[in-house]
Amino acid sequence: MKKFLNKPEQFVDEMLEGIYLAHPDKLKYVNNDLRCLVRADSKKGKVGISTGGGSGHLPLFLGYVGDGMIDGCSVGGVFQSPSADQMFEVTKAIDQGQGVLYIYGNYGGDIMNFDMAAEMADMEDIKVLQVVAGEDVASSPKGEEHKRRGVAGIFFVYKIAGAAADKMLSLEEVKRLADKAAANVRTMGVALSPCIVPEIGKPSFTIEDGQMEIGMGIHGEPGIDKGPLKTADETAQILVDKIVKDLPYEKGDEVAVLVNGLGATPKEELYVLYRKVSEILNKAGISVFHVFVGEIATSMEMAGLSLSLLKLDDELKELLAKPADTPFYKQFQL
Amino acid sequence: MEKLLISDFKEILNKLKDVMVENRDYLIEIDGIMGDSDLGLTMSAAFTAASDLAEDYSDDDIGTMLSKAGMAMSKAAPSTMGTLMGTGFMRGGKALKGKAEINLKNLYSFWDAFMTGLLDRGKAKIGDKTINDSLYPAVLVLKDESDRNSELYPAFQKALKAAEEGVEKATAMQAQFGKAAYYGEKSRGKVDPGSIVGKLLIETFTDYFKTQ
Repeated sequence: MKKFLNKPEQFVDEMLEGIYLAHPDKLKYVNNDLRCLVRADSKKGKVGISTGGGSGHLPLFLGYVGDGMIDGCSVGGVFQSPSADQMFEVTKAIDQGQGVLYIYGNYGGDIMNFDMAAEMADMEDIKVLQVVAGEDVASSPKGEEHKRRGVAGIFFVYKIAGAAADKMLSLEEVKRLADKAAANVRTMGVALSPCIVPEIGKPSFTIEDGQMEIGMGIHGEPGIDKGPLKTADETAQILVDKIVKDLPYEKGDEVAVLVNGLGATPKEELYVLYRKVSEILNKAGISVFHVFVGEIATSMEMAGLSLSLLKLDDELKELLAKPADTPFYKQFQL
Repeated sequence: MEKLLISDFKEILNKLKDVMVENRDYLIEIDGIMGDSDLGLTMSAAFTAASDLAEDYSDDDIGTMLSKAGMAMSKAAPSTMGTLMGTGFMRGGKALKGKAEINLKNLYSFWDAFMTGLLDRGKAKIGDKTINDSLYPAVLVLKDESDRNSELYPAFQKALKAAEEGVEKATAMQAQFGKAAYYGEKSRGKVDPGSIVGKLLIETFTDYFKTQ
Protein backbone atom coordinates (compact mmCIF):
# COMPACT_ATOMS: atom_id res chain seq x y z
CA MET A 1 0.00 0.00 0.00
CA LYS A 2 1.30 3.45 -0.97
CA LYS A 3 -0.96 6.20 0.30
CA PHE A 4 -0.69 9.66 1.81
CA LEU A 5 -1.66 8.77 5.35
CA ASN A 6 -0.71 9.45 8.92
CA LYS A 7 -2.46 6.74 10.88
CA PRO A 8 -4.87 4.53 8.90
CA GLU A 9 -7.46 4.64 11.70
CA GLN A 10 -7.40 8.46 11.55
CA PHE A 11 -7.94 8.54 7.78
CA VAL A 12 -11.60 9.61 7.78
CA ASP A 13 -11.40 12.16 10.58
CA GLU A 14 -8.25 13.76 9.17
CA MET A 15 -9.87 13.93 5.73
CA LEU A 16 -12.83 15.71 7.35
CA GLU A 17 -10.59 18.12 9.25
CA GLY A 18 -8.96 19.01 5.94
CA ILE A 19 -12.34 19.58 4.31
CA TYR A 20 -13.56 21.90 7.09
CA LEU A 21 -10.29 23.85 6.99
CA ALA A 22 -10.51 24.23 3.21
CA HIS A 23 -14.17 25.28 3.07
CA PRO A 24 -14.96 27.08 6.34
CA ASP A 25 -17.53 29.39 4.74
CA LYS A 26 -19.43 26.50 3.10
CA LEU A 27 -19.36 23.55 5.50
CA LYS A 28 -19.52 22.98 9.24
CA TYR A 29 -20.24 20.13 11.63
CA VAL A 30 -22.79 19.77 14.42
CA ASN A 31 -23.01 17.98 17.76
CA ASN A 32 -19.26 18.35 18.12
CA ASP A 33 -18.89 15.42 15.72
CA LEU A 34 -16.79 15.83 12.55
CA ARG A 35 -18.95 13.18 10.91
CA CYS A 36 -22.16 15.23 11.16
CA LEU A 37 -21.60 17.58 8.21
CA VAL A 38 -24.03 20.35 7.25
CA ARG A 39 -24.11 23.49 5.11
CA ALA A 40 -22.80 26.62 6.74
CA ASP A 41 -25.01 28.84 4.58
CA SER A 42 -28.42 27.20 4.31
CA LYS A 43 -31.26 28.88 2.46
CA LYS A 44 -34.08 29.70 4.88
CA GLY A 45 -37.47 28.03 5.02
CA LYS A 46 -36.92 25.20 2.56
CA VAL A 47 -37.23 21.43 2.85
CA GLY A 48 -34.00 19.93 4.19
CA ILE A 49 -32.25 17.18 2.25
CA SER A 50 -29.88 14.79 3.95
CA THR A 51 -27.74 11.94 2.79
CA GLY A 52 -25.09 9.70 4.24
CA GLY A 53 -22.91 6.72 3.58
CA GLY A 54 -19.45 5.32 3.90
CA SER A 55 -16.29 7.26 3.12
CA GLY A 56 -14.07 6.38 0.20
CA HIS A 57 -16.29 7.67 -2.61
CA LEU A 58 -15.56 11.41 -2.83
CA PRO A 59 -17.13 13.55 -4.09
CA LEU A 60 -19.94 11.18 -3.06
CA PHE A 61 -21.62 11.71 -0.58
CA LEU A 62 -20.64 14.83 1.33
CA GLY A 63 -19.39 16.60 -1.80
CA TYR A 64 -22.93 17.42 -2.85
CA VAL A 65 -23.71 19.39 0.31
CA GLY A 66 -24.10 22.96 -0.84
CA ASP A 67 -26.14 25.51 -2.73
CA GLY A 68 -28.70 24.00 -5.10
CA MET A 69 -28.12 20.45 -3.92
CA ILE A 70 -28.32 18.97 -0.42
CA ASP A 71 -28.05 20.30 3.13
CA GLY A 72 -26.38 17.67 5.28
CA CYS A 73 -24.49 14.40 5.25
CA SER A 74 -23.55 11.89 7.92
CA VAL A 75 -20.16 10.38 7.22
CA GLY A 76 -19.23 6.76 7.95
CA GLY A 77 -15.88 5.00 8.06
CA VAL A 78 -14.47 3.77 4.75
CA PHE A 79 -17.27 1.74 3.11
CA GLN A 80 -19.21 1.71 6.42
CA SER A 81 -22.57 3.19 7.29
CA PRO A 82 -22.67 6.17 9.65
CA SER A 83 -24.72 5.65 12.82
CA ALA A 84 -28.43 6.37 13.17
CA ASP A 85 -27.59 8.91 15.83
CA GLN A 86 -25.28 10.86 13.50
CA MET A 87 -28.02 10.85 10.87
CA PHE A 88 -30.49 12.10 13.47
CA GLU A 89 -28.18 14.94 14.56
CA VAL A 90 -27.84 16.06 10.93
CA THR A 91 -31.62 15.84 10.56
CA LYS A 92 -32.20 18.12 13.54
CA ALA A 93 -29.62 20.60 12.28
CA ILE A 94 -31.08 20.98 8.78
CA ASP A 95 -34.80 20.85 9.57
CA GLN A 96 -36.37 24.28 9.13
CA GLY A 97 -39.88 23.19 10.00
CA GLN A 98 -40.65 21.97 6.47
CA GLY A 99 -39.38 18.43 7.05
CA VAL A 100 -36.39 16.52 5.79
CA LEU A 101 -35.90 14.18 2.85
CA TYR A 102 -33.35 11.37 3.17
CA ILE A 103 -31.71 10.28 -0.10
CA TYR A 104 -29.28 7.38 0.15
CA GLY A 105 -28.04 4.30 -1.63
CA ASN A 106 -29.61 0.86 -1.36
CA TYR A 107 -27.30 -0.84 1.17
CA GLY A 108 -28.41 -2.84 4.23
CA GLY A 109 -26.54 -0.89 6.92
CA ASP A 110 -27.56 2.50 5.53
CA ILE A 111 -31.21 1.47 5.27
CA MET A 112 -31.34 0.20 8.84
CA ASN A 113 -29.71 3.31 10.25
CA PHE A 114 -31.70 5.83 8.18
CA ASP A 115 -34.93 4.01 9.18
CA MET A 116 -33.85 4.32 12.79
CA ALA A 117 -32.95 8.00 12.37
CA ALA A 118 -36.37 8.64 10.82
CA GLU A 119 -37.98 7.06 13.86
CA MET A 120 -35.89 9.22 16.19
CA ALA A 121 -36.92 12.29 14.18
CA ASP A 122 -40.56 11.25 14.44
CA MET A 123 -40.24 11.24 18.23
CA GLU A 124 -39.18 14.88 18.00
CA ASP A 125 -41.97 15.70 15.54
CA ILE A 126 -39.66 16.25 12.56
CA LYS A 127 -41.31 14.98 9.42
CA VAL A 128 -39.02 12.72 7.39
CA LEU A 129 -39.56 11.03 4.03
CA GLN A 130 -37.06 8.75 2.33
CA VAL A 131 -35.84 7.96 -1.18
CA VAL A 132 -33.61 4.91 -1.57
CA ALA A 133 -31.59 5.07 -4.79
CA GLY A 134 -30.66 1.81 -6.52
CA GLU A 135 -29.91 1.86 -10.24
CA ASP A 136 -26.97 -0.47 -10.94
CA VAL A 137 -28.40 -2.73 -13.65
CA ALA A 138 -25.62 -5.29 -13.14
CA SER A 139 -26.45 -5.83 -9.46
CA SER A 140 -29.87 -7.43 -9.90
CA PRO A 141 -31.98 -8.41 -12.90
CA LYS A 142 -35.00 -6.59 -14.25
CA GLY A 143 -38.04 -7.37 -12.10
CA GLU A 144 -35.88 -7.20 -8.97
CA GLU A 145 -35.03 -3.51 -9.24
CA HIS A 146 -35.58 -3.05 -5.48
CA LYS A 147 -32.43 -5.10 -4.82
CA ARG A 148 -30.17 -2.94 -6.96
CA ARG A 149 -27.16 -1.15 -5.49
CA GLY A 150 -27.10 2.63 -5.53
CA VAL A 151 -24.08 4.01 -7.41
CA ALA A 152 -23.18 7.16 -9.36
CA GLY A 153 -26.75 7.81 -10.55
CA ILE A 154 -27.64 9.13 -7.10
CA PHE A 155 -25.95 12.34 -8.27
CA PHE A 156 -28.96 13.02 -10.52
CA VAL A 157 -31.34 12.36 -7.62
CA TYR A 158 -29.50 14.91 -5.44
CA LYS A 159 -29.47 17.43 -8.27
CA ILE A 160 -33.19 17.12 -9.04
CA ALA A 161 -34.27 17.08 -5.37
CA GLY A 162 -31.97 19.98 -4.49
CA ALA A 163 -33.33 22.16 -7.28
CA ALA A 164 -36.89 21.21 -6.29
CA ALA A 165 -36.30 22.14 -2.64
CA ASP A 166 -34.77 25.44 -3.77
CA LYS A 167 -38.05 26.25 -5.55
CA MET A 168 -39.58 26.04 -2.05
CA LEU A 169 -41.70 23.03 -2.99
CA SER A 170 -43.23 20.89 -0.22
CA LEU A 171 -41.57 17.79 1.24
CA GLU A 172 -44.03 15.54 -0.61
CA GLU A 173 -43.36 17.28 -3.90
CA VAL A 174 -39.57 17.15 -3.47
CA LYS A 175 -39.87 13.43 -2.74
CA ARG A 176 -42.06 12.87 -5.81
CA LEU A 177 -39.46 14.49 -8.04
CA ALA A 178 -36.56 12.65 -6.38
CA ASP A 179 -38.42 9.37 -6.85
CA LYS A 180 -39.03 10.24 -10.48
CA ALA A 181 -35.34 10.91 -11.05
CA ALA A 182 -34.40 7.67 -9.25
CA ALA A 183 -36.87 5.70 -11.38
CA ASN A 184 -35.48 7.09 -14.64
CA VAL A 185 -31.76 6.59 -14.07
CA ARG A 186 -29.73 3.46 -14.85
CA THR A 187 -26.03 2.85 -14.31
CA MET A 188 -23.45 0.19 -15.05
CA GLY A 189 -19.74 0.10 -14.32
CA VAL A 190 -16.55 -1.74 -15.19
CA ALA A 191 -13.41 -2.07 -13.08
CA LEU A 192 -9.80 -2.62 -14.12
CA SER A 193 -8.10 -2.66 -10.73
CA PRO A 194 -9.16 -3.03 -7.08
CA CYS A 195 -8.99 -0.47 -4.28
CA ILE A 196 -7.41 -0.50 -0.83
CA VAL A 197 -9.23 0.37 2.40
CA PRO A 198 -6.53 2.14 4.50
CA GLU A 199 -7.23 0.19 7.69
CA ILE A 200 -6.99 -3.12 5.81
CA GLY A 201 -3.86 -2.11 3.93
CA LYS A 202 -4.21 -4.41 0.95
CA PRO A 203 -6.77 -4.97 -1.82
CA SER A 204 -9.67 -7.19 -0.75
CA PHE A 205 -9.86 -8.76 -4.24
CA THR A 206 -7.74 -8.90 -7.38
CA ILE A 207 -8.28 -8.28 -11.07
CA GLU A 208 -5.44 -9.91 -13.01
CA ASP A 209 -3.37 -8.03 -15.55
CA GLY A 210 -5.15 -7.86 -18.86
CA GLN A 211 -8.53 -8.61 -17.26
CA MET A 212 -11.59 -6.48 -16.54
CA GLU A 213 -14.63 -7.00 -14.34
CA ILE A 214 -17.89 -5.97 -15.97
CA GLY A 215 -20.65 -4.79 -13.66
CA MET A 216 -18.55 -4.39 -10.53
CA GLY A 217 -19.99 -2.36 -7.63
CA ILE A 218 -18.32 0.62 -5.96
CA HIS A 219 -17.13 -1.46 -3.00
CA GLY A 220 -15.75 -4.20 -5.23
CA GLU A 221 -18.95 -6.25 -5.25
CA PRO A 222 -18.55 -8.91 -7.95
CA GLY A 223 -19.83 -8.04 -11.41
CA ILE A 224 -21.66 -10.16 -13.95
CA ASP A 225 -18.69 -11.07 -16.14
CA LYS A 226 -14.94 -11.25 -15.82
CA GLY A 227 -12.82 -11.45 -18.92
CA PRO A 228 -10.02 -10.10 -21.07
CA LEU A 229 -9.74 -6.32 -21.26
CA LYS A 230 -11.89 -4.93 -24.07
CA THR A 231 -11.40 -1.80 -26.16
CA ALA A 232 -13.10 1.45 -25.17
CA ASP A 233 -15.59 1.05 -28.03
CA GLU A 234 -16.46 -2.52 -27.04
CA THR A 235 -16.85 -1.47 -23.40
CA ALA A 236 -19.12 1.42 -24.38
CA GLN A 237 -21.22 -0.95 -26.47
CA ILE A 238 -21.68 -3.39 -23.58
CA LEU A 239 -22.65 -0.66 -21.11
CA VAL A 240 -25.03 1.21 -23.41
CA ASP A 241 -26.72 -1.99 -24.62
CA LYS A 242 -27.41 -3.23 -21.13
CA ILE A 243 -28.58 0.16 -19.81
CA VAL A 244 -30.75 1.12 -22.79
CA LYS A 245 -32.52 -2.23 -22.83
CA ASP A 246 -33.23 -2.08 -19.11
CA LEU A 247 -35.40 1.01 -18.63
CA PRO A 248 -35.84 0.93 -21.69
CA TYR A 249 -34.64 4.17 -23.27
CA GLU A 250 -36.32 4.54 -26.64
CA LYS A 251 -36.11 6.39 -29.91
CA GLY A 252 -37.20 9.98 -29.33
CA ASP A 253 -36.17 10.00 -25.66
CA GLU A 254 -33.98 12.75 -24.32
CA VAL A 255 -31.31 11.88 -21.73
CA ALA A 256 -28.56 13.29 -19.58
CA VAL A 257 -25.37 11.21 -19.67
CA LEU A 258 -22.86 10.73 -16.86
CA VAL A 259 -19.47 9.16 -17.57
CA ASN A 260 -17.95 8.66 -14.13
CA GLY A 261 -14.37 7.79 -13.25
CA LEU A 262 -13.93 5.42 -10.30
CA GLY A 263 -10.76 7.06 -8.94
CA ALA A 264 -7.72 6.06 -10.98
CA THR A 265 -8.99 6.37 -14.54
CA PRO A 266 -7.99 9.57 -16.33
CA LYS A 267 -10.57 11.86 -17.89
CA GLU A 268 -8.97 11.25 -21.27
CA GLU A 269 -10.17 7.66 -21.17
CA LEU A 270 -13.64 8.75 -20.09
CA TYR A 271 -13.87 10.93 -23.20
CA VAL A 272 -12.59 8.13 -25.43
CA LEU A 273 -15.47 6.06 -24.09
CA TYR A 274 -18.01 8.86 -24.48
CA ARG A 275 -17.11 9.19 -28.16
CA LYS A 276 -18.64 5.76 -28.78
CA VAL A 277 -21.53 6.25 -26.32
CA SER A 278 -22.55 9.34 -28.27
CA GLU A 279 -22.43 7.45 -31.58
CA ILE A 280 -24.57 4.58 -30.28
CA LEU A 281 -27.19 6.87 -28.71
CA ASN A 282 -27.32 8.94 -31.88
CA LYS A 283 -27.95 5.84 -34.00
CA ALA A 284 -30.68 4.74 -31.59
CA GLY A 285 -32.44 8.09 -31.96
CA ILE A 286 -31.88 9.04 -28.31
CA SER A 287 -30.94 12.70 -27.98
CA VAL A 288 -28.52 14.00 -25.39
CA PHE A 289 -29.44 17.10 -23.35
CA HIS A 290 -26.22 17.34 -21.35
CA VAL A 291 -23.10 15.26 -20.69
CA PHE A 292 -21.34 15.11 -17.32
CA VAL A 293 -17.80 13.69 -17.49
CA GLY A 294 -15.58 13.32 -14.44
CA GLU A 295 -15.32 11.85 -10.97
CA ILE A 296 -18.78 11.91 -9.43
CA ALA A 297 -18.74 8.72 -7.33
CA THR A 298 -15.44 6.94 -6.81
CA SER A 299 -14.12 3.87 -5.06
CA MET A 300 -10.80 5.02 -3.57
CA GLU A 301 -8.10 4.34 -6.19
CA MET A 302 -10.05 1.83 -8.24
CA ALA A 303 -9.43 2.07 -11.98
CA GLY A 304 -12.64 1.86 -13.93
CA LEU A 305 -15.67 3.86 -14.90
CA SER A 306 -19.43 3.82 -14.90
CA LEU A 307 -22.01 5.09 -17.34
CA SER A 308 -25.37 6.49 -16.24
CA LEU A 309 -28.33 7.69 -18.28
CA LEU A 310 -31.19 9.79 -16.92
CA LYS A 311 -34.33 9.96 -19.01
CA LEU A 312 -35.69 13.50 -18.97
CA ASP A 313 -39.05 15.14 -19.32
CA ASP A 314 -39.76 18.87 -19.12
CA GLU A 315 -39.95 19.02 -15.34
CA LEU A 316 -36.78 16.98 -14.73
CA LYS A 317 -34.93 18.93 -17.41
CA GLU A 318 -35.81 22.26 -15.84
CA LEU A 319 -34.53 21.10 -12.43
CA LEU A 320 -31.38 19.46 -13.79
CA ALA A 321 -30.51 22.71 -15.58
CA LYS A 322 -30.57 24.86 -12.43
CA PRO A 323 -27.22 26.07 -11.11
CA ALA A 324 -25.46 24.39 -8.19
CA ASP A 325 -22.48 25.39 -6.10
CA THR A 326 -20.82 23.09 -3.58
CA PRO A 327 -17.15 22.78 -2.64
CA PHE A 328 -16.95 19.69 -4.85
CA TYR A 329 -19.41 20.48 -7.64
CA LYS A 330 -20.21 23.63 -9.55
CA GLN A 331 -22.70 24.03 -12.33
CA PHE A 332 -23.94 27.09 -14.22
CA GLN A 333 -27.49 27.26 -15.58
CA LEU A 334 -27.57 24.74 -18.45
CA MET B 1 -47.51 -6.83 42.86
CA GLU B 2 -49.49 -7.01 39.68
CA LYS B 3 -48.94 -3.36 38.90
CA LEU B 4 -45.52 -2.12 37.88
CA LEU B 5 -44.45 1.46 38.48
CA ILE B 6 -41.63 3.50 37.00
CA SER B 7 -39.40 2.48 39.92
CA ASP B 8 -39.80 -1.16 38.83
CA PHE B 9 -38.69 -0.36 35.30
CA LYS B 10 -35.70 1.60 36.56
CA GLU B 11 -34.73 -1.45 38.58
CA ILE B 12 -35.28 -3.80 35.61
CA LEU B 13 -33.07 -1.64 33.38
CA ASN B 14 -30.45 -1.64 36.12
CA LYS B 15 -30.62 -5.45 36.29
CA LEU B 16 -30.39 -5.71 32.50
CA LYS B 17 -27.20 -3.66 32.66
CA ASP B 18 -25.77 -6.01 35.30
CA VAL B 19 -26.72 -9.08 33.28
CA MET B 20 -25.16 -7.74 30.07
CA VAL B 21 -21.98 -6.71 31.88
CA GLU B 22 -21.76 -10.16 33.55
CA ASN B 23 -22.25 -11.86 30.20
CA ARG B 24 -19.91 -9.55 28.32
CA ASP B 25 -17.06 -12.04 27.89
CA TYR B 26 -19.42 -14.93 27.15
CA LEU B 27 -21.14 -12.92 24.39
CA ILE B 28 -17.78 -11.85 22.96
CA GLU B 29 -16.71 -15.47 22.85
CA ILE B 30 -19.79 -16.89 21.13
CA ASP B 31 -20.02 -13.93 18.73
CA GLY B 32 -16.38 -14.46 17.77
CA ILE B 33 -17.14 -17.89 16.31
CA MET B 34 -19.09 -16.60 13.29
CA GLY B 35 -19.40 -12.85 13.88
CA ASP B 36 -17.12 -9.92 14.64
CA SER B 37 -17.09 -10.58 18.42
CA ASP B 38 -18.30 -7.11 19.36
CA LEU B 39 -21.66 -8.23 20.76
CA GLY B 40 -20.53 -8.33 24.40
CA LEU B 41 -19.12 -4.83 24.10
CA THR B 42 -22.14 -3.36 22.34
CA MET B 43 -24.67 -4.93 24.71
CA SER B 44 -22.91 -3.77 27.86
CA ALA B 45 -22.47 -0.29 26.34
CA ALA B 46 -26.12 -0.16 25.26
CA PHE B 47 -27.64 -1.27 28.56
CA THR B 48 -25.28 0.88 30.63
CA ALA B 49 -26.52 3.88 28.64
CA ALA B 50 -30.15 2.80 29.10
CA SER B 51 -29.73 2.31 32.83
CA ASP B 52 -27.97 5.67 33.23
CA LEU B 53 -30.79 7.38 31.38
CA ALA B 54 -33.43 5.70 33.54
CA GLU B 55 -31.64 6.69 36.72
CA ASP B 56 -31.74 10.36 35.68
CA TYR B 57 -35.34 10.27 34.45
CA SER B 58 -37.48 12.27 36.85
CA ASP B 59 -41.03 12.02 35.39
CA ASP B 60 -43.42 9.07 35.93
CA ASP B 61 -44.16 8.25 32.25
CA ILE B 62 -42.89 4.69 31.84
CA GLY B 63 -43.33 4.64 28.06
CA THR B 64 -41.41 7.85 27.44
CA MET B 65 -38.60 6.69 29.71
CA LEU B 66 -38.28 3.39 27.84
CA SER B 67 -38.34 5.18 24.45
CA LYS B 68 -35.63 7.55 25.59
CA ALA B 69 -33.66 4.59 26.89
CA GLY B 70 -33.94 3.13 23.37
CA MET B 71 -32.54 6.30 21.83
CA ALA B 72 -29.71 6.29 24.35
CA MET B 73 -28.92 2.67 23.47
CA SER B 74 -28.64 3.22 19.75
CA LYS B 75 -26.48 6.27 20.38
CA ALA B 76 -24.14 4.36 22.70
CA ALA B 77 -23.96 1.24 20.53
CA PRO B 78 -24.27 2.01 16.81
CA SER B 79 -23.93 -1.62 15.69
CA THR B 80 -26.63 -3.86 14.28
CA MET B 81 -27.69 -5.34 17.62
CA GLY B 82 -27.39 -1.95 19.36
CA THR B 83 -29.69 -0.43 16.76
CA LEU B 84 -32.10 -3.36 17.10
CA MET B 85 -32.22 -3.05 20.90
CA GLY B 86 -32.71 0.70 20.54
CA THR B 87 -35.54 0.12 18.09
CA GLY B 88 -37.17 -2.44 20.37
CA PHE B 89 -37.16 -0.13 23.37
CA MET B 90 -38.28 2.89 21.32
CA ARG B 91 -41.20 0.97 19.81
CA GLY B 92 -42.08 -0.78 23.06
CA GLY B 93 -41.92 2.52 24.93
CA LYS B 94 -44.21 4.13 22.38
CA ALA B 95 -46.83 1.44 23.14
CA LEU B 96 -46.73 2.47 26.82
CA LYS B 97 -46.59 6.22 26.27
CA GLY B 98 -48.20 8.23 29.07
CA LYS B 99 -48.59 5.26 31.42
CA ALA B 100 -47.46 5.47 35.05
CA GLU B 101 -48.75 1.97 35.88
CA ILE B 102 -48.32 -1.24 33.90
CA ASN B 103 -50.04 -4.64 34.09
CA LEU B 104 -49.31 -7.86 32.17
CA LYS B 105 -51.53 -6.75 29.27
CA ASN B 106 -49.52 -3.55 28.91
CA LEU B 107 -46.29 -5.45 29.25
CA TYR B 108 -47.36 -7.78 26.47
CA SER B 109 -48.06 -4.75 24.25
CA PHE B 110 -44.53 -3.53 25.05
CA TRP B 111 -43.00 -6.84 23.92
CA ASP B 112 -45.29 -7.09 20.92
CA ALA B 113 -44.20 -3.64 19.71
CA PHE B 114 -40.59 -4.49 20.58
CA MET B 115 -40.79 -7.65 18.44
CA THR B 116 -42.46 -5.88 15.53
CA GLY B 117 -39.68 -3.29 15.70
CA LEU B 118 -37.01 -5.98 15.44
CA LEU B 119 -38.70 -7.62 12.48
CA ASP B 120 -39.22 -4.28 10.66
CA ARG B 121 -35.77 -2.92 11.25
CA GLY B 122 -33.65 -6.06 11.06
CA LYS B 123 -35.47 -7.54 8.05
CA ALA B 124 -34.58 -11.05 9.27
CA LYS B 125 -37.40 -13.57 9.27
CA ILE B 126 -38.35 -16.13 11.90
CA GLY B 127 -36.18 -19.18 11.28
CA ASP B 128 -33.14 -17.21 10.01
CA LYS B 129 -31.19 -18.02 13.20
CA THR B 130 -31.30 -14.62 14.89
CA ILE B 131 -32.58 -13.02 18.10
CA ASN B 132 -36.07 -13.37 16.62
CA ASP B 133 -35.96 -17.13 17.13
CA SER B 134 -35.79 -16.91 20.90
CA LEU B 135 -37.78 -13.74 21.46
CA TYR B 136 -40.72 -14.39 19.15
CA PRO B 137 -41.83 -17.66 20.86
CA ALA B 138 -41.60 -15.89 24.23
CA VAL B 139 -43.75 -13.00 23.02
CA LEU B 140 -46.36 -15.47 21.73
CA VAL B 141 -46.51 -17.04 25.20
CA LEU B 142 -46.94 -13.60 26.77
CA LYS B 143 -49.90 -12.97 24.47
CA ASP B 144 -51.59 -16.19 25.66
CA GLU B 145 -50.84 -15.46 29.29
CA SER B 146 -52.08 -11.89 28.93
CA ASP B 147 -55.34 -13.13 27.36
CA ARG B 148 -55.77 -15.46 30.34
CA ASN B 149 -55.05 -12.70 32.87
CA SER B 150 -52.17 -14.65 34.39
CA GLU B 151 -49.91 -13.41 37.16
CA LEU B 152 -46.65 -11.77 36.04
CA TYR B 153 -44.14 -14.29 37.41
CA PRO B 154 -45.75 -17.52 36.14
CA ALA B 155 -46.42 -15.85 32.80
CA PHE B 156 -42.74 -14.91 32.44
CA GLN B 157 -41.60 -18.34 33.64
CA LYS B 158 -43.47 -19.86 30.69
CA ALA B 159 -42.15 -17.19 28.33
CA LEU B 160 -38.61 -17.90 29.50
CA LYS B 161 -39.09 -21.60 28.84
CA ALA B 162 -40.20 -20.77 25.28
CA ALA B 163 -37.16 -18.50 24.83
CA GLU B 164 -34.83 -21.25 26.05
CA GLU B 165 -36.39 -23.73 23.64
CA GLY B 166 -36.01 -21.05 20.96
CA VAL B 167 -32.27 -20.85 21.64
CA GLU B 168 -32.03 -24.64 21.21
CA LYS B 169 -33.97 -24.56 17.94
CA ALA B 170 -31.91 -21.63 16.66
CA THR B 171 -28.71 -23.54 17.43
CA ALA B 172 -29.84 -26.29 15.07
CA MET B 173 -30.78 -23.83 12.29
CA GLN B 174 -28.67 -22.83 9.33
CA ALA B 175 -27.90 -19.10 9.49
CA GLN B 176 -29.63 -17.06 6.77
CA PHE B 177 -28.74 -13.62 7.96
CA GLY B 178 -25.72 -11.42 8.71
CA LYS B 179 -22.11 -12.54 8.70
CA ALA B 180 -23.01 -16.02 10.03
CA ALA B 181 -24.90 -16.72 6.78
CA TYR B 182 -21.55 -16.99 4.95
CA TYR B 183 -20.91 -20.16 6.96
CA GLY B 184 -23.91 -21.89 5.37
CA GLU B 185 -24.32 -25.51 6.54
CA LYS B 186 -21.37 -25.08 8.92
CA SER B 187 -23.47 -22.71 11.04
CA ARG B 188 -25.70 -25.58 12.17
CA GLY B 189 -25.01 -26.68 15.73
CA LYS B 190 -23.41 -23.36 16.66
CA VAL B 191 -25.29 -21.23 19.17
CA ASP B 192 -26.65 -17.94 17.83
CA PRO B 193 -25.45 -15.05 20.02
CA GLY B 194 -28.52 -12.95 19.16
CA SER B 195 -30.85 -15.67 20.42
CA ILE B 196 -28.91 -15.63 23.70
CA VAL B 197 -29.50 -11.87 24.01
CA GLY B 198 -33.24 -12.48 23.49
CA LYS B 199 -33.24 -15.11 26.23
CA LEU B 200 -31.29 -12.83 28.61
CA LEU B 201 -33.90 -10.09 28.20
CA ILE B 202 -36.80 -12.37 29.17
CA GLU B 203 -34.76 -14.04 31.90
CA THR B 204 -33.98 -10.71 33.55
CA PHE B 205 -37.65 -9.72 33.66
CA THR B 206 -38.52 -13.19 35.03
CA ASP B 207 -35.87 -13.00 37.77
CA TYR B 208 -37.11 -9.57 38.76
CA PHE B 209 -40.71 -10.78 39.18
CA LYS B 210 -39.49 -13.79 41.14
CA THR B 211 -37.85 -11.63 43.78
CA GLN B 212 -40.85 -9.34 44.22
